[in-house]
Amino acid sequence: MNAAPAKKGLGPLLLIAPAAVLIGVFLVLPYLNIVVMSFRMPGQGTPYAPGFTFGNYGKFFADSFYIMQVVNTLWIGFLTTFLCLVLGYPVAWQLARGNSAFRALGYALVLSPLLVGIVIRSYGWTILLGNNGIINRTLSSWGVIDGPLPLMYNALGIIIALVHVFLPFMILPIMSAIQGIDPSLELAARSLGASKLTAFRRITLPLSLPGMQAGCILVFVLSLSAYVTPSLIGGLRVKTMAVTVVDALIDTFQWPFGSAMALMLSVTGAVVVIIFGRLTVMKWKA
Amino acid sequence: MTEVSIEKLTKDYGQGPAVNAISLKIAEGEFISLLGPSGCGKTTTLKMIAGFEDATAGAIRFDGRDVVHVPVEKRDIGMVFQNYALFPHMTVEQNLAFGLEMRKIPKPQIREKIAKVLDMVQLAGYAERYPRQLSGGQQQRVALARALVIEPKILLLDEPLANLDAKLREEMRVFIRDLQRRVGITTVYVTHDQAEAMTMSDRVVVMFGGRIAQMGTPSDIYERPANLEVAEFVGQVNIVRGKVGGGMVSTAFGDVPVTGGHADGTELMLALRPEAVELLPVNSGAAGVPAKVLSSYYSGSLVDYRLELAGGATVNVQTFPRTRFADGEQVLVHAPAERFWPLGSAA
Repeated sequence: MNAAPAKKGLGPLLLIAPAAVLIGVFLVLPYLNIVVMSFRMPGQGTPYAPGFTFGNYGKFFADSFYIMQVVNTLWIGFLTTFLCLVLGYPVAWQLARGNSAFRALGYALVLSPLLVGIVIRSYGWTILLGNNGIINRTLSSWGVIDGPLPLMYNALGIIIALVHVFLPFMILPIMSAIQGIDPSLELAARSLGASKLTAFRRITLPLSLPGMQAGCILVFVLSLSAYVTPSLIGGLRVKTMAVTVVDALIDTFQWPFGSAMALMLSVTGAVVVIIFGRLTVMKWKA
Repeated sequence: MTEVSIEKLTKDYGQGPAVNAISLKIAEGEFISLLGPSGCGKTTTLKMIAGFEDATAGAIRFDGRDVVHVPVEKRDIGMVFQNYALFPHMTVEQNLAFGLEMRKIPKPQIREKIAKVLDMVQLAGYAERYPRQLSGGQQQRVALARALVIEPKILLLDEPLANLDAKLREEMRVFIRDLQRRVGITTVYVTHDQAEAMTMSDRVVVMFGGRIAQMGTPSDIYERPANLEVAEFVGQVNIVRGKVGGGMVSTAFGDVPVTGGHADGTELMLALRPEAVELLPVNSGAAGVPAKVLSSYYSGSLVDYRLELAGGATVNVQTFPRTRFADGEQVLVHAPAERFWPLGSAA
């Protein structure tokens, strides 16, 4: 008996072609350009000069200022991710398992930050968090505080705003993971003698790990690369890596050095994500 | 070993009772099936026994102790779910250990008990597998082992064979029944499959519309159905109608004696199982009613005939295929009087 050869026409290839071309032309090529740019000679009065060098990377590693900035950016990313996870999980659980009346409203509320542009949202936070902002004025008019609390122009303000902006990216994957868990698993755990809390801790929580993993990676990567929120709220005092990179590229016109910094940021982020993925490997998944 | 007694148990979700004041006593070590069509309240009853659903009214007693207000985790039940509900992120061993850990049993003992129960369900050597690496039948046996390893007071099974293919289903029927006898655990089994209920149970509880229609041994249910609904739900049946006169019902098969003081002139329905009817060749000279074969269905060990009696009524007959009759052939039909079972007067 002759097995018919598997039909592998051009069909599948044609289907992915538009997306592949788009990504290739507008993502991969510019990325390669950045890699090349990071090895170019810095210019005087021009973005770059002819010739190639490792000097841009040397400059980056020689100055602890840049290293500290990467550390700060990572730190802000970690905290933002952690807070999103802690704040988002209960919401995701409610959306997945709560009664349906709450679900529609909750869903709308979770998605609502995404309906407003990121610039507007960040400006909104400056109105709330500023030294002369709503929070500080209210607290001082109540006599709770003497001087304004430092809510802006520091990491705290950036983290508060980033958590608000990225919360939906944590909630949605966790919600869909919890929705995918068969409710009878918790009943089975209860029938075996587990309390509601134990059933959640031993069954639902570990089974929602894929959603938490996806949410954490999304929020972490978005936090590292966030530009608008940190630049508006951090101001000149606290800069994240993304802000410094843009400064170098646009303000001081150092394209090679800016590219080197941008790549270092990407590489660190990728390393963190890979380590995180390794730590959260789920053996039980196919 | 636990005796379960259910008294006037009711569940109302707000649209009329799903379970309507049912009472039921289950003896120690007895295997009881709740049998009925979907929506008859059998699963709701099971969920109330398990504690997954609160009872609207009534009592559930385990050995005399009312457990209605005892939460699931304190009821000491073993439950097998239709979809097995094995924890996908745990190995077989971890699945089995879960209930024992909840009971704070020391590690070495847990290992011992798991080895024993895996042996019992013939899955020794599978301890390290994850559920997705097992076949449906194997998952089923792990689910059974997980429910039994905690040595619960009662074993509850919710349509556990519904997702298996026909051959495996029959194997598992025997397997579960043997296991239950060996362990001697009081068991409640929910199913809509009458063959499962009949072959496995000590007693079958037939439910319709939230009420118990009949409760009895499989042969009670099959041979002496309480009413038309039960007769039609459990196996195939011919409904024979006839008028009462002088302690006899005159039917197309001849006069059938009935007891029970039915007034002369009432029209009675009698149940007649297809295999209770004998088919004989016309030239055999035996007593019988003439009939014509309309169609026949051969299934190997049995043949199902559809016949038309002289009076025009049709009757289904099931026989061994020793003598085959062709479609259109004239035959004699004979049904012993004691195989007719009165179902009450026809509406």
